[in-house]
Amino acid sequence: MKKSVKRTESSIIIRNVFAYFISVLLALGVMSVIILLFGFNVSKVLKTLLTASFRTSFGFQETIKKTIPLIFTTFAFTLPFKIKFFNTGGWGQMLFGATMVAVTGLFLSNSGITLPTYIIIPLLIIVGILAGGFFGLIAGFLTAKYNINPIISTIMLNFVGVQFLNFIATNSYFKDPLEGHPITLPLPKSATLGFFGGIPHSIIFAVVSVLFVYILIKKTRLGYEINAIGYNLDAAKTYGINFPRIIMLTFFIAGALGGLAGTFEVMNIHKKLVEGFALTSGAQYGTFGILTSLIVAGNPIGVPFSAFLMSVLLVGADALQRTMQVPVELVFLSQALIVLFIVIIRQRFERGR
Amino acid sequence: MENEDLVELRNVRKAFGEVVALDNVTFSVKKREIHGLLGENGSGKTTLMNILYGLYSPDKGEIYFEGKGVKIPSPFDSIRLGIGMVHQASTLVPEFTATENIILGTEGDKYSLPLDREREKIKEISKNLGVKFPLNIKVKELSAGIKQKIEIIRALYRGAKLLILDEPTTSLVESEFQELLKSLKALLNSGVTIIFITHKIKEALQACDRVTVLRRGRVQGIEKREDTNKEKLVKLMFMEKEIRVTESALPKVELPPCKKSKDPVLILKNVTVEGGEKSIGLHNVSFEVYGGEILGIASVSGNGEKELAEITINPYKIKNGDILISGKSIKNHETLDVFANRVFYTPEDRIKEGVLPEGSIKENILLGHHAKERFIRNNIFINWEEARKAAVDVIKNYNVMTPTEELAIRRLSGGNIQKVIIGRAFVSPINLLVTHNPTSGLDISTVEFIFKKLVETRNSGSAVLWINEDLDELMIISDRIAILHKGELKEIFERESFDKYKIGLLMIGG
Amino acid sequence: MSFINSFISQTIVYTVVYTLTSLGIVVSGRAGIFNVAGEGIMLASASSGFLAAYLTGNALFGFIVGSLMGAVFGLIIAFVHEKFKVNQFILGISLVILGTGLSDLLYKLIIGVRLTAPRSPATPLVKIPLISRIPVFSAFLTQDVIVYFMYIVSIFLWWFYYRTKLGLETRAIGENPKAADVVGVNVTKRRYLSTIIGSALIGIAGAYLPISITGTYTPDISAGRGFMAIGIAIFASWRPERAILGGFLFAAIEVISFRLQVISRTIPYQFLLMLPFILVLVVMIIFNKQIEFPASVGKPYSRE
Repeated sequence: MKKSVKRTESSIIIRNVFAYFISVLLALGVMSVIILLFGFNVSKVLKTLLTASFRTSFGFQETIKKTIPLIFTTFAFTLPFKIKFFNTGGWGQMLFGATMVAVTGLFLSNSGITLPTYIIIPLLIIVGILAGGFFGLIAGFLTAKYNINPIISTIMLNFVGVQFLNFIATNSYFKDPLEGHPITLPLPKSATLGFFGGIPHSIIFAVVSVLFVYILIKKTRLGYEINAIGYNLDAAKTYGINFPRIIMLTFFIAGALGGLAGTFEVMNIHKKLVEGFALTSGAQYGTFGILTSLIVAGNPIGVPFSAFLMSVLLVGADALQRTMQVPVELVFLSQALIVLFIVIIRQRFERGR
Repeated sequence: MENEDLVELRNVRKAFGEVVALDNVTFSVKKREIHGLLGENGSGKTTLMNILYGLYSPDKGEIYFEGKGVKIPSPFDSIRLGIGMVHQASTLVPEFTATENIILGTEGDKYSLPLDREREKIKEISKNLGVKFPLNIKVKELSAGIKQKIEIIRALYRGAKLLILDEPTTSLVESEFQELLKSLKALLNSGVTIIFITHKIKEALQACDRVTVLRRGRVQGIEKREDTNKEKLVKLMFMEKEIRVTESALPKVELPPCKKSKDPVLILKNVTVEGGEKSIGLHNVSFEVYGGEILGIASVSGNGEKELAEITINPYKIKNGDILISGKSIKNHETLDVFANRVFYTPEDRIKEGVLPEGSIKENILLGHHAKERFIRNNIFINWEEARKAAVDVIKNYNVMTPTEELAIRRLSGGNIQKVIIGRAFVSPINLLVTHNPTSGLDISTVEFIFKKLVETRNSGSAVLWINEDLDELMIISDRIAILHKGELKEIFERESFDKYKIGLLMIGG
Repeated sequence: MSFINSFISQTIVYTVVYTLTSLGIVVSGRAGIFNVAGEGIMLASASSGFLAAYLTGNALFGFIVGSLMGAVFGLIIAFVHEKFKVNQFILGISLVILGTGLSDLLYKLIIGVRLTAPRSPATPLVKIPLISRIPVFSAFLTQDVIVYFMYIVSIFLWWFYYRTKLGLETRAIGENPKAADVVGVNVTKRRYLSTIIGSALIGIAGAYLPISITGTYTPDISAGRGFMAIGIAIFASWRPERAILGGFLFAAIEVISFRLQVISRTIPYQFLLMLPFILVLVVMIIFNKQIEFPASVGKPYSRE
């Protein structure tokens, strides 16, 4: 009896991997046509794209640096996706989390308040969680109370987040007078994180987040209720699951995770708030988070691997543009195509069951 | 020519994946007869007619209409031929008026919308049939009975020569059924042929000139009304099954003498609940249910039975009055708090409201119990080992056909799903079971199983509040039957004085 | 007076973008397909439409290409949804991402990096003789062909959905596809047509941005309007005659916040720029109770 179940579970994973490969091949096919049309060498493009992360230790470090925020923004999308809602606000949640962390850190240092590292770092992380969570909660609340589609509310909040960051980064209290681009003063050193060799300290938090999401979804009552709503909202409501409460909680946690993506970018990588920090290889971390999440189809353990793969391609895309003048958008587009194909193939598997 | 075939389906085969719904079925209907298609739930009747109407395409087989071979790839084609169908569940657009629904999809100038002219034509047709209904109200505000009339007119408006009715009596009481029979006779006279799908032997005998019996996708026999009787039809419908059946081809289950508890388990005192779009709500309803009895609630769909069924999961919806479980008021409780008082509920729409389709059987069994101490550790974590044990118990005790408790519940048959739903109610001991239409759409063995479980529950001293659409079923194992009409409790009948005609009359306000 | 005139003129121009996009969403929504890919379609059409206009020197040709690009996206949405039953929102979001990537890619590959941005040929204006004298009215009507197109399409769609049998049948699909199917309406065909036509409208709106408004293509030229248009379609309860009102309202807010930036000393301009986006949410909260959806929008339909 148990054997047939194990077979089902592993066959699902095999199917997903299979679907991924077919999609990659299909997307590759489409991309090759475009590559050839514009006069580039297909094999050279592929080689640069796939190996840029592994040729130098710098490349590898860059890949890890991209993977960390990506893990967070992927979870930011995955969690509400489990209750059939689309959190397209990962970007705004990342921005707002980062902004509030910078605001708090700079406020403390500007007011001359010095706090030891072991206080200020957890404090800023909590600020990031609350700020991102707040952004998510707004969307969750609007859905719970007014039935407003979260796609709309989170995207509107994205734009609010962009403006707010710009405001802080150009405001005389926070901004760095020496920089032309909107950038704030640097955070106090005690408020920043370091590196293990070339790997940012925040990787620990990324790993913790994977465990957190896994345990939440599989082992807790909240996770059960989230899954139940995702399976069938009417049945969940019939048997006492509080839908408004769960939506708001889910969006809060999702927003908090998005906020953490921004938090660690500010605290570990840039050590200040830089406009445009949430963009990578021509698009937002939030967007790539959505793509990664759709590829992994909701399995928390698969997220870090998928995020790593995605980052490899992003580093490769940067290298392509730098060395061969192939626009980054080519890779970006192929990622979207891969997701489209995967989603289609997965549906075909579903219908066959 | 009276004896000519109007339509014939020959050697039809239809399978859905591995499930064979129709196996080499040949079915024919003569002109100007009412032909019954009789069989229990799941026998393939609706599938066969959906093929005739163009909603399904047969894997094998041919269709002949008025002597000619035809292909019917979609309803557009069957309507063209002169076939009309009234489905079991309403297929009207709720936001449109009756007029708009009736003219929807008809041929003619597509770039205009002459509603006034059409209204006159509809009134004509309705008058000829002796039917009346409001033409300018959105149909979502109309009752099931009226909606059915609209659907019949919708078919006739297109000049149907053949009218297929799928389980038309689901929402009708005895007197309304007689009215329907009169209308059908009038239709016959005006030249329309009728196919009458049903699972009720008594109705088939009353309404139909001939009856074709289907069982498990195969034709078991074709009987003429004058040459057959209830026993023959029962035999054809159920064959070798060891089931004793009543007058209406329902399982005969014994009900031992009632041993009521001293105090009532459930008390409703002057309960008023606001209705929704489709239903009237409850007005000043009071009654009691004792341990050791089954109280059946009989009502026509839309008269407040849904609000009554949901009274334990939504007690906060009570505007006035009170509701008590074992003497304790639960008026403002949350669903799970109510359940903690040894209460459980099974909803009428099992797929839509009762289960998590992609979830495992284990996850489904936990639903409703997921806040109970037995299944929670440290207030945060689920005790999956206990949940697994509970699931395995239900599978064993309720004979659920599944290789494992991890299987997604949607892979089970309707009957097995309902067994899980009922089994789930008993995972923790209960004093009150509230169940709404637990037997709808199920085959007779499962219905018998469910009846036996309800009686078992009652015999063990628990109270059963059983809201059921089918009065025949209620009369078999209820100790008392209460009638709900327009949200009010009309009367309660004791078992000795059960009277189908009287009860039916009260159900429609007579 | 001339202030009002210039305000209206400027607003009408943006109204075109909002209205045509939301009409496109309404059209596919009435047939049951909830198109959230508007932003991606707009960008892809903006890019391809601009390139077509620039390379051929003909603005109208740019609009044709833009609408074709939109139609292709519509075809993809209808096909993938009807054939594979993929969730409409996942599909829409993926296409937003795809459209965004495609738009910049096309531009970069064809134009590359230049010091001065290429300009598109202007859209022909239509001036009705007498009306151009009437003060406020003329601001509404002394506009380019696409503005007139917007007026005509709005009226046409209202007439189509509420005064014709075809429109009744299409609306039935959005409310209850089964009901439409059983009376012989071809649900699949209508969904394809509605989504293709609706997306073509969005494509025209997209092309309008670089060709008629800014004069050149820039990345992110749509600036979220594709999503705001979803809000407009919802807030208009999916009625074409209300979509144009919603479009005007949002365009007005956009123009006002723009102008306020220039004159305001106290409010930091970033908060003014936030206004349109916050307003979408406020409007949806206020009108929450009155909003109606076609009952089956967003859900796939199959006979079994």
